[in-house]
Amino acid sequence: MIAFICILLTVLVYLLSKQLYKKIKFAFLSPLLIAPCILSSMLVGFHINYSDYDSGGRWLSNMLQPAVVGFAIPLYKFRKVMKKYAKIIVVSMSAGVTIAILSSGVFSHIVKLNDNYLLSLLPRSITTPIAMAVSVDIGGMPTMTAIFVIVTGITGLILGPMIIRYLHIKEKLAKGLLLGMGAHGAGTSKALEFGSEEGAAASLAMVLAAIFTLVFAPILTPLILL
Amino acid sequence: MLKFFRVALQVCYLYLFALLGNILVKWLHLPISGSIIGLFIVLALLHFKVLKLSAVELGAGFLMSEMLLFFIPSAVAIIQYKDEIIQHGSQFLIVILLSTITVMIVTGLVAQFSIRRLANKKGEIGK
Repeated sequence: MIAFICILLTVLVYLLSKQLYKKIKFAFLSPLLIAPCILSSMLVGFHINYSDYDSGGRWLSNMLQPAVVGFAIPLYKFRKVMKKYAKIIVVSMSAGVTIAILSSGVFSHIVKLNDNYLLSLLPRSITTPIAMAVSVDIGGMPTMTAIFVIVTGITGLILGPMIIRYLHIKEKLAKGLLLGMGAHGAGTSKALEFGSEEGAAASLAMVLAAIFTLVFAPILTPLILL
Repeated sequence: MLKFFRVALQVCYLYLFALLGNILVKWLHLPISGSIIGLFIVLALLHFKVLKLSAVELGAGFLMSEMLLFFIPSAVAIIQYKDEIIQHGSQFLIVILLSTITVMIVTGLVAQFSIRRLANKKGEIGK
């Protein structure tokens, strides 16, 4: 029963925050920032355990799986464009993944985080299940990694469009790669708002970022720990 | 109403492919997640015309446009980590903010630069 109520409540808060975002169009009012804030304060206010909430929330999180499978459709539709720009895509993604891992490490050193947190931060820019797997592989804490992935998603979703505007990026492919690389699925959903071509590029970026990180992270980790 | 059922049915289809991916990952001990394997399966089936685009397009469109909803429960999970966040929250946020900005700038600029270079090259050949 509590599970059902939590699902209903989450959907309701989501729909309301989406309406609010549509009206005000202010980036910091993204439903992915507002809805969790409202829901967490409700949980605290009504003394509901997170595990009780998650008995329902889990069902919604599970829907991410078919959603990721669904990214096959934009990829299929724009396969010709993707093929044409294959080299550019691979080069940009290799640069993105390398920078994602190295910069997470360097900035963690600068703010003096210990190695446990540093290692958990390294795979933060890819989709959750793979990020958690990489985290285990390099000796991080997978649950902390999951948190960092979601914060990265929120951050990228809000800042991505600002960066695109600030850098005057006009190419649809570049916009999509930037969003999918920087903010995995959350960025990809933003890219789909830009257009279906941007969405396809972001879907591809999300998938490639995950695969490249699986390969690059174990190689780059010893360098960062030096 | 009819559209609702079609969307629901197609979402189930996509879910089945994700489950199939999960099973394959378990059997073959793959390091990738089941949903990404599912994505490649659907892509292959579309390519070989086993699966029609119209059989999954509506469902996929629905899931992708409401994707943020599915991230919300994991974002709420942050409240479980009160102690870590009180102690290190600002450090985490600084790292994630700066790193995400850096990654986006580098990826965007590399892609834009390469696309324009390719366009220029083709332009010269055209002359």
